[in-house]
Amino acid sequence: MPSDIAAPVIRHDVLGRDHFLLTLECPAIAREARAGQFVMLRAGRGFQPLLRRPMSICRVLPGRRGRIQILYKIVGEGTRCLSQQPVGATVPTLGPLGNGFRLAPDGTRPILVAGGIGIAIFPFLVEALRAARRATPLLIYGARANRDLVALDFFRARDVPMRLATEDGSRGTKGFVTRILEPLLARKDRGPRMEIFACGPTPMLKAVRERALGAGVPCQLALESQMPCGIGVCLGCVVGCPPDERGPIFRRVCAEGPVFGAEEVVL
Amino acid sequence: MRRRADRAPRGTVPRVRAAAGRPRKRGVDLSVDLGPLRLKNPIVAASGTFGYGTDFLPYLDLRDLGGFVTKGLSLLPRRGNAPPRTCETPSGMLNAIGLANVGVEAFLSEKLPALRDCGTAIIANVFGETQEEYVAVARRLNGAPGLAALELNLSCPNTEKGGLAFGVSPPVVRQVVAAVRRAAPDLPLIVKLTPNITDVAVAGSAAREGGADVLSLVNTFLGMAIDLETRRPVLDNVVGGLSGPAIKPLALYMVHRVYREVGLPVLGMGGISCAEDALEFMLAGSAAVQVGTLNFFDPTGSVRLVREIEAWCRSAGVRAVRDLTGTLRLPAGRPPAPCSG
Ligand SMILES: Cc1cc2nc3c(=O)[nH]c(=O)nc-3n(C[C@H](O)[C@H](O)[C@H](O)COP(=O)(O)OP(=O)(O)OC[C@H]3O[C@@H](n4cnc5c(N)ncnc54)[C@H](O)[C@@H]3O)c2cc1C
Ligand SMILES: Cc1cc2nc3c(=O)[nH]c(=O)nc-3n(C[C@H](O)[C@H](O)[C@H](O)COP(=O)(O)O)c2cc1C
Ligand code: FES
Repeated sequence: MPSDIAAPVIRHDVLGRDHFLLTLECPAIAREARAGQFVMLRAGRGFQPLLRRPMSICRVLPGRRGRIQILYKIVGEGTRCLSQQPVGATVPTLGPLGNGFRLAPDGTRPILVAGGIGIAIFPFLVEALRAARRATPLLIYGARANRDLVALDFFRARDVPMRLATEDGSRGTKGFVTRILEPLLARKDRGPRMEIFACGPTPMLKAVRERALGAGVPCQLALESQMPCGIGVCLGCVVGCPPDERGPIFRRVCAEGPVFGAEEVVL
Repeated sequence: MRRRADRAPRGTVPRVRAAAGRPRKRGVDLSVDLGPLRLKNPIVAASGTFGYGTDFLPYLDLRDLGGFVTKGLSLLPRRGNAPPRTCETPSGMLNAIGLANVGVEAFLSEKLPALRDCGTAIIANVFGETQEEYVAVARRLNGAPGLAALELNLSCPNTEKGGLAFGVSPPVVRQVVAAVRRAAPDLPLIVKLTPNITDVAVAGSAAREGGADVLSLVNTFLGMAIDLETRRPVLDNVVGGLSGPAIKPLALYMVHRVYREVGLPVLGMGGISCAEDALEFMLAGSAAVQVGTLNFFDPTGSVRLVREIEAWCRSAGVRAVRDLTGTLRLPAGRPPAPCSG
């Protein structure tokens, strides 16, 4: 069951330009969290911003203290306010919320596809896959430029093979992650079965979804959406799903997601 | 706690008589009456911000609330508008959910039974695209076990009147309220006014003439947001309803006006986020208040308000919270001035 906790800031590290790693102590949330779930953080004190901000649970730290980490990027007022929270301040934290990833079945190779700050959801998944003794995943990670690629150390330390892409070509393949994903899916000798786990901006998810459906590879997408409440009551965060005879169907990203099967949603 | 509202008027401050022997902390009577509807305290969760009640069970005890209003119910289930449906604005938010809901039948068969003995007043919010739909939903809810009252949402577009909201036309308000009154004679009838009208008191009087027991106000203000980069409206629906602290002064004035002009019990709302806000609405004439957007950014905020109101009353020497309603002190001899500037 989710809880609402005034979570103390234990650490707050800068990870290069505009990226931060926030460590919060919230045992009740840490205990229940699963990879792919999120929390709603109240970034400031007053009404600017008014609403909480959804953030993936990046990691649950080992140990009894019940600490979680949030990896985020400043994109506006809320994330800027959050970045100003000093160690010792408390951040109202509601969670864990939503449905996490389904772990790939045994013998399946997980392909993690991250775009930009979408990387934040994957450390937890990597640890969950390891804990469940699943095959080592491959990480395909794209960002605007080299300096926007963060948390590489985490994956390197866990021997996760990485294929990087940058839009400006400052590191790895020049272009989008699909330039790496496509040849992988096209290979006749693909080897063991694979399953894609993707998180990133909607245009990226759209592209990954199409490629995965085209290749018949199972694919889970972690969606983003504007989330006023995060707990399923406002009906504001919906995503369009394949219509039935009565017209379009909408599902709540916070409650039925944020992870959906590629075939479940229309992007 | 911030102190913004004035202390209670002197005349209403009761002398605390200590019981013989040791002094006893007096409980504050939080119960309030809205016409035929009695609530255990003046905080009610607003329609569209509290689901069907059960979603908040992880966070609060429903018994601590005066009541809650369900998401608006229509005759058939509705799926609502395409996304994006919401957008944050300074100290507020716009929503264009499109009145998505499970429909009155699923509410009665699935949602209401799960709430049996929840220990708080359950108020069903009703809307329709035609007067017949309002009547049909109300008739279906009349006599449903466990329902405390109906709240009629008059902000819904009237498909027979070119999509203009029912609530903007006083004759239409009178008619639809009277029809619902006949269809659901057993339940207290709250009529929720739209603020998107020149004088909300005129609509309030029409609702009274139609047979409303209580007036609730305000629903959201029409507004929009534009994305300069794409040069498109942010909401797929183009227009949405503004709620949250941004609308509080507008709502407070409308409550004041309706309380003075109409003569029905008022259930006020609009941007309430702390006990002081709620108490200000009560001074302006609200018998009880609803909290909406607060439930989104602070899911336990509603019950916190109940505790804070009790504490405020105790420190201000107010023995019964209902004594505060309408005790606003107006400047003597000055006629109400509608102009600003
Ligand atoms: C389930 C979920 C998990 C998330 N996890 C993370 C995370 O781990 N780390 C992280 O940095 N971010 C994450 N996000 C995105 C994060 O919530 C937004 O970046 C944040 O709300 C922006 O708030 P702001 O006030 O700083 O920016 P705003 O002022 O709200 O927005 C600034 C700009 O960013 C755009 N924007 C805002 N929110 C979103 C969004 N949700 N999707 C796409 N564009 C948006 C706006 O349109 C605007 O152009 C997640 C979102 C969801 C729904
Ligand atoms: C997302 C959302 C959905 C709403 N849905 C309804 C509804 O179905 N019926 C209704 O009468 N009012 C609805 N409202 C209006 C609220 O009940 C309330 O009148 C309004 O939000 C003002 O109060 P607030 O500022 O405290 O939120 C909705 C408001 C929001 C924000
Ligand atoms: S964010 Fe409110 S329903 Fe999903």
